[in-house]
Amino acid sequence: MIWKPAWVIIQDKFVKLEVGAIIVATGMGVYDPTEIEEYGYGKYENVITSMEFERLICAGGPTEGHFVRPSDQQRPKRIGFIQCVGSRSKKYGSEYCSNICCMNTVKDTLLLRDHYPDTENYVFYMDIRAFGKGFEDMYMRSKAEGVKYIRGIPGEILSINGNGDLKVEVENTLTGQLEDYDLDMVVLSVGVKPQDDSPTIRKLLTLSKTSDGFMMEAHPKLKPVDAPTRGVFFAGCVESPKDIKDSVTQAGAAAAHAQILLNAGKVKIEAITSRIDMDLCTKCGQCSDVCPYGAIKWTKGELPELIEAACAGCGSCGAECKFDAITMRHFSDHQLLAQIDSILENEPMKKLLTFACNWCSYAGGDFAGISRLQYPVHSRLIRTMCSARIQEDFVIHAFEKGAPMVLVSGCHFADCHYINANRQTVRRVLRLWDKLDKLQIRPERLQLEWISAAEGQKFASVMRKLDGKRKDVTQEEVDYSIQALKASKLKGDARKAAMEQLKCPRPPEPISIPPSTNGESVFQCMSCGHTYTGHYDAKEELVEWSCPKSECKSNSIRVHRKKAGK
Amino acid sequence: MKDPKVEVNFEKRKELEKVLGADQVSYCYQCGACVGDCPSARFFEGFNPREIMLKSLIGDFDDLISKDSIIWKCSNCYNCYERCPQDVRPVEVIIALKNIASQNETSPKEILDVTRRIIETGYSVPIVSTSNRIREELGLPPLKKIDVSELKEILKPDKKTEKK
Repeated sequence: MIWKPAWVIIQDKFVKLEVGAIIVATGMGVYDPTEIEEYGYGKYENVITSMEFERLICAGGPTEGHFVRPSDQQRPKRIGFIQCVGSRSKKYGSEYCSNICCMNTVKDTLLLRDHYPDTENYVFYMDIRAFGKGFEDMYMRSKAEGVKYIRGIPGEILSINGNGDLKVEVENTLTGQLEDYDLDMVVLSVGVKPQDDSPTIRKLLTLSKTSDGFMMEAHPKLKPVDAPTRGVFFAGCVESPKDIKDSVTQAGAAAAHAQILLNAGKVKIEAITSRIDMDLCTKCGQCSDVCPYGAIKWTKGELPELIEAACAGCGSCGAECKFDAITMRHFSDHQLLAQIDSILENEPMKKLLTFACNWCSYAGGDFAGISRLQYPVHSRLIRTMCSARIQEDFVIHAFEKGAPMVLVSGCHFADCHYINANRQTVRRVLRLWDKLDKLQIRPERLQLEWISAAEGQKFASVMRKLDGKRKDVTQEEVDYSIQALKASKLKGDARKAAMEQLKCPRPPEPISIPPSTNGESVFQCMSCGHTYTGHYDAKEELVEWSCPKSECKSNSIRVHRKKAGK
Repeated sequence: MKDPKVEVNFEKRKELEKVLGADQVSYCYQCGACVGDCPSARFFEGFNPREIMLKSLIGDFDDLISKDSIIWKCSNCYNCYERCPQDVRPVEVIIALKNIASQNETSPKEILDVTRRIIETGYSVPIVSTSNRIREELGLPPLKKIDVSELKEILKPDKKTEKK
């Protein structure tokens, strides 16, 4: 067979365009099964992937539609399909279901039955997931056509002679019988994975990913085509593995959403954005580092530049700025401090000061109310757009005004409505715990919890637990912390003298560091006091922590950054 | 499983999960990858690692740890360990069951013989008078006598396994 390739020279070219919206449709990658040694892909010529099968049976493919097996160019008579290769596995490939491989195999078997009715087809599966419109019909049609479906994943593919014939050993789990199948060709139904270069695009457009590596949408149910960065939309498998129909549906939605933006000409944005006072700014660039949207442009030695259209209003920059140069509109320092003051004006010992983020924790409190769950009446909520708005000063101010307990709460890591702003919350709370510890104030009086909008139950139970802790705080302790925090604001000798005069009525309990840990950090649950060791590196991306004790599960996990065992 | 109604005995399963090696058993989704490659399943009627996992899953494994149990047919080849997509480690679950059976003193006589032989001589196969003669004929050095005092110290029953 002579196959003449058509040579077309395509040269890369950089084109500069000014656009109003971006649709990311960079597609997906396919799992490479070479690492699964028992299937012998790459070792046996006649073990091919489902993608290669598509090319073999395609009229425009290398064999011009003649369906032959690679080893001897003869037409195979007995063909086996193995499902879930590189999907639903903790060992190889991915743990998620790749969504398309089941129906792809059913389609392939029907194609084979149509073109070559004399072939025998076997499908080895653990579950056939035929979930879409008309899918079950197609599966039944394939069964009725005589394709044999065997529930069981083969242990090994063996070569029985040098001619490329294969043998598959499998247990038919529906009968419990161990069966051998002699096959001419085996097709591995490979799973899909994110594109290898997806981190590049993620970085370029400040997008984030879900745990499976695919791009994260702004909201899994209500904004499935929008990226967290406004003006960016997803279409197709870049967001999750999906079939043609779903991809077309999503592409249509993405195009329509983009069109809304383009037609409007001018876009209205929320008034909750940050504002930088250039007179107070010291050009340190901290704000630019913590902005999850890249909305603050800064080069060393220059004043930062705020792109208001890109700002989503989380307030992380405002909390980070040590020079009060950044004002968050509608959530200014002045407004939030005034709320703290008025809450703690009368009988502060009876108040449970809670910072709650607008999207999750505050809504979780709402849900607890709607569900008529009982929780103590002492809680007082201060709403911010994101938990990242909560400045360290606010918590210190609350303790200075006599608050017995302070709770900082926000969305779970996966749900953060400002991409990853609440990782900054963790860093700030960790710093606060260290600071309180240094001043001999019990750090347990500051707690951190992640409460989603659906977790009304958790909201109520957290409030009950914290109310118990609030009752445990003594008046002397609060008086001491007010004095200590005041003294800590003095400078030099005056501070030293003031601190020496104070006597701590209830110093924090020293934690016991377990012996013989190599290079691991010590984690301490600030709710139940449980300590354990684990890996922590400040430079790596944070993961959501919760207490390993099943009866606690608190998110108030403190890391002792000094190495354990020292 | 003749009875269509199956009740899971969670307490028994939890008990099993506490034994070393069996902690992942609840992840099994019965795909059967462990059976396809199992040499024992091929040659012993009734031995099926997937079914052993299923019985462990539903906490109905009394017959597996009783006398004449099928689990002793497992040859510890670790093929299932390699194949399992869910990291259940079927062979280690079977070893855990064997450990339970040994504690209940329901392991077969042959196994006890081997155990005793290892403790006493350090060899798992019996050393008879002909052994060294055959070795000599093959040009191999005679078998060494093994110091088992250390082995005995290691294998001494602790508080948990001591007979009451």
